[in-house]
Amino acid sequence: MLLTARHISKSFGRKHVLRDISFELQAGSLYGIVGENGSGKSTLLKIIVGAWEADSGTISLNGKLGYCPQEALLFPLLTVAEHFRYFAAAYGIPKDIMKKRADHLLDHFNFKKYEKEKVANLSGGTQQKLNLTLALLPEPDLLVLDEPYNGFDWDTYLRFWEYTGQLRQQGCAVLVVTHLLSERERFDRIYDLKNGQLM
Amino acid sequence: MKSRRIYIGISMVLRALVRRKIVFILMLVIPAVFLGVVEFTTSERILPFRLASLDEETFIEISEKRISFIFFAVASAGFLVAFLALNLIQKGRGVNKRLVICGYHPLELLIAILGALAFMIVGIALYIGLLTHTFYPVEHLPAFIFSLMLIGLVYGCYGLAAGSLIRGELEGILLIVLLVNIDVGWLQNPLFYAEAQNQIIIRFLPAYYPAQSAIITSFTDYSPASANIYSIGYGAIFLLISMLIFFHEMRVKS
Repeated sequence: MLLTARHISKSFGRKHVLRDISFELQAGSLYGIVGENGSGKSTLLKIIVGAWEADSGTISLNGKLGYCPQEALLFPLLTVAEHFRYFAAAYGIPKDIMKKRADHLLDHFNFKKYEKEKVANLSGGTQQKLNLTLALLPEPDLLVLDEPYNGFDWDTYLRFWEYTGQLRQQGCAVLVVTHLLSERERFDRIYDLKNGQLM
Repeated sequence: MKSRRIYIGISMVLRALVRRKIVFILMLVIPAVFLGVVEFTTSERILPFRLASLDEETFIEISEKRISFIFFAVASAGFLVAFLALNLIQKGRGVNKRLVICGYHPLELLIAILGALAFMIVGIALYIGLLTHTFYPVEHLPAFIFSLMLIGLVYGCYGLAAGSLIRGELEGILLIVLLVNIDVGWLQNPLFYAEAQNQIIIRFLPAYYPAQSAIITSFTDYSPASANIYSIGYGAIFLLISMLIFFHEMRVKS
């Protein structure tokens, strides 16, 4: 298993956001988690990637992790290329390999022309492309995506699914969290997060 | 800990910093305005005062204008560095945490931030030191510039601590402006300090030793070594506090 979550619970004050959540994700699978705004989807993802701590329960991750947060967490005054360099250093990717992967991602998501542009000058959709591609840069074994296609045009949306399809063929497990799910047939399994529990 | 990560971190922090034009405008304008105000508003009246960090009998006589130049130089260096440090920590909080999730160690990020801050401290101290010297020559310019670096160290680490602790930009700036004004701009000024009650309280404020070092190097041939060592100690305490808060903020459950 690439991801095993066991009995995860989380409360904020008296509000129980997550109650005894357990699930597993195996190689090559695509799972979705849907739920209303404020249902705890992002909280669950933050616990999975280690950004937040659960009140109880355990998370077991195997392999390289790629995480795309809901909000585009980027440096407004650094360029797209500088982000690839900075995050490649974080992932421990050598410069030559980083360049190849970055070029491929820039081409695939059709924003190579913005490579030297500062993030502050990019549109919301292009910022989201960068937000997503930084998660794809390490060629992860487990991809955790929080509302990954927010702001994408139709073409980019299709390119996103094409790319995740290729990753799944290579054995990557993908977990997508979203409040809107239009193409349920793409997923192996879809959970609904309601009242802090996965249905 | 990897040196490549630290090198890239410093390079990226500096790039983001130098691209903020307002930062450079502030760096150039604030000290010039402060010292210009001193030039136009203070008198040449001679004031005798005791050098607090030296022995009880060490009195010197300096004009109001000269002592004001030194204090406005120290205050502007402290304020600018504290503001920059606050910004460095506050602006990148979310994305820094993302970098940690992706593999950066919080210590590597903190060293990168401190490295970039050190560059800025040296630059600010050199600029303000030379600018002050053009208004009114100081006795030992390199040592005076070093004392400005010390106020930068102390207030830079204070800015890091404040930025790590407080999420709101406005609240952070308020905290910095308040302390710099009360500490450097008011209580450490010998015009006030000479007659102040409960001087022991003033001695425990962060700018005390850097301000003493600045006076000693500007007007006397006494050694500032003791004041410098205490300044570094004070900076280290703030640095430790900011490190603890930063690590707490950046911790990732693996």
